[in-house]
Amino acid sequence: MTASTGTTRRSPLLWALLGVVAVLGLSAVVRLLSKAVPTWTEGTGLEGVGAAVEYPVYAILLGLLGNAVLGATGLRDRLSGGFRTEFFIKTGLVLLGASINLSVIAQAAGPALAQSVLLISIVFGFAWWLGGRAGLDDKLRALLASAVAICGVSAAIAAAGAVQAKKEQLAYSASLVIVFALPSIFLVPWLAGLIGLPAAVAGAWIGGNIDTTAAVTAAGALAGEQQLQIATIVKVTQNALLGVVAVALTAYFALRVERTTASTEPVARQLWRRFPKFVLGFLATSVIATVYLAAVPAAEGKAAIGVVNDLRTWFLILAFVSIGLEFRVSALRRAGWRPVGVFAAATVVNLLAALGLAALLFWNFSA
Amino acid sequence: MAQQNSGDPTASPPPTRRLDEDWLAVVVGLVLVALALLGVIPTGLVP
Repeated sequence: MTASTGTTRRSPLLWALLGVVAVLGLSAVVRLLSKAVPTWTEGTGLEGVGAAVEYPVYAILLGLLGNAVLGATGLRDRLSGGFRTEFFIKTGLVLLGASINLSVIAQAAGPALAQSVLLISIVFGFAWWLGGRAGLDDKLRALLASAVAICGVSAAIAAAGAVQAKKEQLAYSASLVIVFALPSIFLVPWLAGLIGLPAAVAGAWIGGNIDTTAAVTAAGALAGEQQLQIATIVKVTQNALLGVVAVALTAYFALRVERTTASTEPVARQLWRRFPKFVLGFLATSVIATVYLAAVPAAEGKAAIGVVNDLRTWFLILAFVSIGLEFRVSALRRAGWRPVGVFAAATVVNLLAALGLAALLFWNFSA
Repeated sequence: MAQQNSGDPTASPPPTRRLDEDWLAVVVGLVLVALALLGVIPTGLVP
């Protein structure tokens, strides 16, 4: 291996590491602000605002600010390998499992599964139908329907693999998800408070309605701890159903759209390949923490889970900063406004259907 | 090693990044939980 080849190969890794450093630096500022601002504003006219603004807000705003600065200096694309939103959010969710008692997951699993199956069927069906009426390409409407109905960017990636979509279609769908998710992070918790929804219903609404897992976590964190727990259980359930939809799409496109032979890979193996493995980590940490808390004195257990919660907050901040850093609108301009209209209409249907199902299935939920 | 496979057309494609990140998230999360519950990361250390 020559020196020049080595330099070429190492450069992307070095840039990615610098990207991680940038995310960490911004996250440290977020952590500082979220702890210091309530103290700084105490006794002033801004005391209420200072106390109410929480870390997801600082993280997303600083991420967007960093995005603008890095974009203007031409560094954003080089550093983007370090903006690992998916990894940060999934690690944060595995850590979040440790603060959710297994009995809560067991009690919420039934309604969460019912809500997810109904919601995915309704929203996917509507987005697919409307995309057809609007004359969208079959692959693009499969991506958009998956993204809006299941779990945002992850679903779009899985659907893109299933239907062999073009890179531009995936980039477009992912951009749409982020554009719609950002305002939802603030809007849905605010609406839940305005309507006066019980915590479990608000959590189920947030988890069922907001597309991308990171945005669900941000909205849940803004709404409250119980809302965050229920929102996460609902979203994790949707994530777990991703494989089923991806396998169904693969078969549908192979047999009905492309009219080729279906994949020879066994269905069970396809489902496992597409199953989001972090769900297993989330369940494992819940089991471990539940057993641990039953075995140690309460004060010791509370202190240890407190450390896990601090680590979780760090990973969520890293994820929210990365959301801001990754945000782009340029991909949207190229594809025109018809897909935006389809996505927006499906988002409204998702918002209303998720609210109805959350109220129906979680109104009397107690854990 | 990736360098040895880069020019080989018969080499199997590398695993997807999504799967890697999924498993990595599980491993990192479980290790951190274990360290916290075992007291290796003491209270107050995480800023």
